[in-house]
Amino acid sequence: MTKIDVACIIDDDPIFIFGAKRMMELSEFCNSFMVFKNGQEALNNLKPIMNTEEVLPDVILLDINMPIMDGWEFLDEFIKIKSHKMVTIYIVSSSINPIDLNRAKRYENVSNYILKPISLNSLKGILAEVTDA
Amino acid sequence: MYTPEENTPQNNKVSLLNFIEKHAAIGTWEFNTKLEKITWSSQTKKIHEVPLDYEPNIELALSFYKNGDNLNKITKVFTDCIEKHEDYDIEVQIVTATGKDKWVRAIGTAIIENNECIKVQGLFQDIDKKTKDAYALAFKEQQLRKTFETALIGMAILDLEGNWIDVNKSLCQTFGYTKDEFRSHSFKDITHPEDFRKGQRAMIDMLNGKLDHHETEKRYINKKGEIIWTQLFTSIVRDSNNQPQHFVAQINDLTEIKKSTEKVSQLLVTTEDQNKRLLNFAHIVSHNLRSHYGNLDMLLDIVKMDLPETTENELFPLIEQAVSNLGDTVVHLNEVAAINIQKDLKTEPLNLLDSFNKAMSSISALILDSKTSVSIAIEPDIHVKGVPAYLDSVLLNFLTNAIKYKKPNEPAKIEIKTSANTDFIILEITDHGQGIDLKKYGDKLFGMYKTFHQHEDSTGIGLFITKNQVEAIGGKIEVKSKVNEGTTFYIHLKKHD
Repeated sequence: MTKIDVACIIDDDPIFIFGAKRMMELSEFCNSFMVFKNGQEALNNLKPIMNTEEVLPDVILLDINMPIMDGWEFLDEFIKIKSHKMVTIYIVSSSINPIDLNRAKRYENVSNYILKPISLNSLKGILAEVTDA
Repeated sequence: MYTPEENTPQNNKVSLLNFIEKHAAIGTWEFNTKLEKITWSSQTKKIHEVPLDYEPNIELALSFYKNGDNLNKITKVFTDCIEKHEDYDIEVQIVTATGKDKWVRAIGTAIIENNECIKVQGLFQDIDKKTKDAYALAFKEQQLRKTFETALIGMAILDLEGNWIDVNKSLCQTFGYTKDEFRSHSFKDITHPEDFRKGQRAMIDMLNGKLDHHETEKRYINKKGEIIWTQLFTSIVRDSNNQPQHFVAQINDLTEIKKSTEKVSQLLVTTEDQNKRLLNFAHIVSHNLRSHYGNLDMLLDIVKMDLPETTENELFPLIEQAVSNLGDTVVHLNEVAAINIQKDLKTEPLNLLDSFNKAMSSISALILDSKTSVSIAIEPDIHVKGVPAYLDSVLLNFLTNAIKYKKPNEPAKIEIKTSANTDFIILEITDHGQGIDLKKYGDKLFGMYKTFHQHEDSTGIGLFITKNQVEAIGGKIEVKSKVNEGTTFYIHLKKHD
């Protein structure tokens, strides 16, 4: 199976970040990571490079509940940015609130809604989807 | 006292007397003290209802008076008239010859000669109707007065300027004023300033004859300066010439009702508020717990992969079990929260038998393995209102419970039937199992995390969620049970017409 080049994690929970990174290493998910602690930090870093030749993430794992700028606010800003590259976004959240699940469906760029905790299997699923596309 | 000799000529006197006797129902009589002879005029005889040829004597005359007070009274004044020359004019009751009670006015005057009473002359008037009317009126008046005075509702009579003429006890209690204090105020003095103009138009209309009565809500101020909420009913009393005389007001004190209504609506707001906060709390708890549980679960996975050697001990499986239990608890919490959050649940008609068969087929392996016998008597056309997922979960839970809590040494036997009342289809599920001691556990049966059996799979969440789901679709659950004989659940589900 091919690897994803760059995976981006936007999440405020350091334990999740640690675990997700380790899981990705163990499942040989990607070559490298970008990690941002909230939507604002992610936006500040990604916005300037989205239409440049710099390395962009292939996949974003986006948390919903975060301080400063939450996942939805990030999405609303992110989809406005013009980019030459197609970035696949997965929402990864603990929220089983139907309102959140339905809201995720309204975004074209959001491929799927993944409930935490993530497992090796869910990562393999993502990998399959992204590399097939 | 007068002397008859000084009177007008005899013939004139007689005709005038006859005239008076006839028209005023007044009779005359005379008693000669020397001869002890009594004479009655014909009108006097008529009043006594005796024939015109009746010849009274003094004993007979007195015998017409009612025994007791009446007789004592007439005897005394008559004796005093003769002995002390005192005239009398009294109202007493006689019993006529035909046995009728009758009120009469008896007037007597002594005729004196040489300082001695030679005659008593008098008048005898039938005042029965007038007296009885007066008594009846007095009785009515008393009835009305009592009603007015002791009515629970505040009542008042006001003059046309709005001054209190009379108020009753209840009104005094409501306002804290005595009757005299009331009389020194007009109704305007104790009206709440904001309600000053209230009912004014109606009062004018009542005075003009356009309106007979009027009802309104009005605030007053009592003696302590507190607001009194009332329901005021005013009517106008007119005389026989249709001239307004006074107002009659009924004033019902609504203050306590107003206060408790306010309290109730305040409570409602508080409760709604608390509900919202609880809901919010449930969200936060379930969400945050989920996050932490998720992290723990993920870390355990990583430990298993990264440090397999650390998992080979007694402790690690226990930690895994604890984390998994935490996960279950979070799931249950979420389910319960989800059922209670859903406000306008969309129910749809569901075929009960179909739903049952679906539930049965999803646990067909369990039924086979446990050798459970299930008899279902549900008419194929019964439809209930429900949410498919809820009904499925409810039926499944009752079926698995029935199997789980069977008697230890024999396979489970489940009987299912239905009945109906006006609003509900009542689904009866009888399990012939271990039964539950309802005296001991009845009020906890549907509580969260309550288990009553030593069963390895008892989580105590099933019935709790089931109850919540049934109630969410407008139903209810009743239960009958006997230890060692089994349990019957009566699941009331809303009928679909």
